[in-house]
Amino acid sequence: MARFIGWRLLVMIPTLIIISVVGFIIIQAPPGDYVTSYIAVRESRGEMVEPELVDALRASFGLDKPIHVQYWRWVTNLVQGRLGYAMQLKEPVTKVIAARLPASISISLFSLIIVYVIGVPIGILSATRQYSAADYVFTVIGFLGVATPNFLFALVMLWLLFLWTGNVAVGLYSPEFQNAPFSIAKVLDLLGHIWIPALVVATAGTAELIRTMRANLLDELHRPYVIVARARGVGPTKLLYKYPLRIAFNPVISTVGWTLPALVEGEVLVSLVLGLPTLAPVLLRSLQQQDMFLAASIVMILALLTLVGTLLSDILLAVVDPRIREAV
Amino acid sequence: MSRRGGRPAGRPAGRRARRREREAVPELPADTLLSVRNLQTWFFSREGVVRAVDGVSFDVTQGEVLGIAGESGCGKSVTSQSILRIVPDNGRIVGGRILFRGGNGSDGGGSGASGATLDLAAEEADGTLIRSIRGKEIAMVFQEPMTSFSPVHTIGNQIIETVRIHQQVTEQQARAQALEMLRRVGLPNPAQNIDQYTFNLSGGMRQRAMVAMALACQPKLLIADEPTTAVDVTIQAQMLELMREIQAELGMAIIMITHDLGVIAETCDRVMIMYLGKEVEYGAVEDIFHRPQHPYTRGLLASIPKMEPGRVEIDPIEGVVPSPYAMPAGCKFHPRCRDVIGGVCERSDPPLTDVAPGHVVSCFLYGGREGAA
Repeated sequence: MARFIGWRLLVMIPTLIIISVVGFIIIQAPPGDYVTSYIAVRESRGEMVEPELVDALRASFGLDKPIHVQYWRWVTNLVQGRLGYAMQLKEPVTKVIAARLPASISISLFSLIIVYVIGVPIGILSATRQYSAADYVFTVIGFLGVATPNFLFALVMLWLLFLWTGNVAVGLYSPEFQNAPFSIAKVLDLLGHIWIPALVVATAGTAELIRTMRANLLDELHRPYVIVARARGVGPTKLLYKYPLRIAFNPVISTVGWTLPALVEGEVLVSLVLGLPTLAPVLLRSLQQQDMFLAASIVMILALLTLVGTLLSDILLAVVDPRIREAV
Repeated sequence: MSRRGGRPAGRPAGRRARRREREAVPELPADTLLSVRNLQTWFFSREGVVRAVDGVSFDVTQGEVLGIAGESGCGKSVTSQSILRIVPDNGRIVGGRILFRGGNGSDGGGSGASGATLDLAAEEADGTLIRSIRGKEIAMVFQEPMTSFSPVHTIGNQIIETVRIHQQVTEQQARAQALEMLRRVGLPNPAQNIDQYTFNLSGGMRQRAMVAMALACQPKLLIADEPTTAVDVTIQAQMLELMREIQAELGMAIIMITHDLGVIAETCDRVMIMYLGKEVEYGAVEDIFHRPQHPYTRGLLASIPKMEPGRVEIDPIEGVVPSPYAMPAGCKFHPRCRDVIGGVCERSDPPLTDVAPGHVVSCFLYGGREGAA
């Protein structure tokens, strides 16, 4: 097991290198760079930009160097923990990310909890009471959940919130806690606000989990080992929880890791619509304006989350399934 | 859907009591362990009703091996599922009785079945009484040893679980019992095998582990549903040998369900031949094999390849098994029968006729035509 984890951690290094190269190239791929879009913005306001300033800007960001030199500079800084400079925000990338990552992670984790707390029991209910009224109701809700785009649901929530409170600002904190230091009261305030974006982000995942859980469990419920267990005198409760549910969980566990980056992505439009100070809107803007250090850093964080998530899934799977445990 | 699994066990006892009151359960003769009388188990689906078992009667005496043979779909498996009340969700016992002599209470289990004759067909499926019989009084061995164990639990875990459901013993005692049973079925290294998973074991070892699990509580009746179908011939031979040994040692009765007449000839005392949910012939193995009476039994025996110097002879039964939704009227076998009597066989069901002591046939060739006309 330790060897397996060690090996997987080792393999992460070349994977991250490949992702960094590909990511950097793709971010660089559109013609022009941050300075070009900066000039375009200035010129659209009718301002003149002197060629000297342009050259000076390029030189200061290192954008006048060839791409491999730029990559090397970025990547050597990256491994030393220096993520570069967010050109548009005029702040170091580390500072931008540090300010927004906690909000992103809070929403993601909270969504993850909602997905499992709601999805798993309903999935079990749907499978054990297949074709019952409850099963049909949850199936319809499930399909609605999968089919409704997040941003639309976010807009609906915004509208409902406005009807109830006359307020359109969701935010993550009440104004009095906005800049307050960490405290229990602040966490409680956060919980009071975070459920709206978390719920919106969680809908699609929950609906999907209900369907997966239902299908997996239906697959297992009539397996021979369940019939054998029944024929041995095992009672109905244990017959569900000890055997089929345990195995039906495996595919769910193996995808827990993927939900990490998926939730961050799912949060993009929701955060834009609800105006939340998370990482996602910054990523979008940095890509639009070719603010490449910021964009590349965020991409690397997502990549790292994906890899760590997948590793966690695999470890969990090995813990619960002896067939995998013995293979690794 | 009224008897589906997964429902809470605690049902009001009133319903059971009422049923018992209405139909008193008759006592069984002293040496009879199980008596199935006119059992009917039907399946209900959108396409219609399938009468998988439609009026089957047989007795199992203590310590005997009874074979139930027939083609796929003849209802032999459903008969065994009915006895343990593990018929799939859309099936239901609609008639008949399954009389079983309960335990004598001396082996100290928490069983509600002690000494008295029970009608298993009238009990609540998955109720406490049926559950106390499953695995303890009547155990079952299934076709697939690989899938009979949960892949994520050790075989020991599942055997110990069975023991602890039925006997008030500690984990250690149950484990010792499981080890003893694993040793008895001839696993090479029980102390190690008990903590292994099915995927660690070879096919033959899995078979043995499966038998050990079924025998963990020393049942009085073992139902073996096609126990040798999914394994190769060497393991099949070992398996039959093992079951014979265990049977001699523990003195339990066995119902051997198979489509393989060779297995019947090798292991059984008596045999019941089934066709489309009905018993067609029933008697001692020697009678059935040497003096088959029913045209279907004769056809089955003739379809076993006979190897004689220079030639191989197979004489299959003509035609195919009809669709379960379009059963022929009268005798179910008459469209495929060589000896069909026009104007008789398609009119009504042939009654059971005694052709010799203990040898029963359901065919108009041997009588019952008066009643049918």
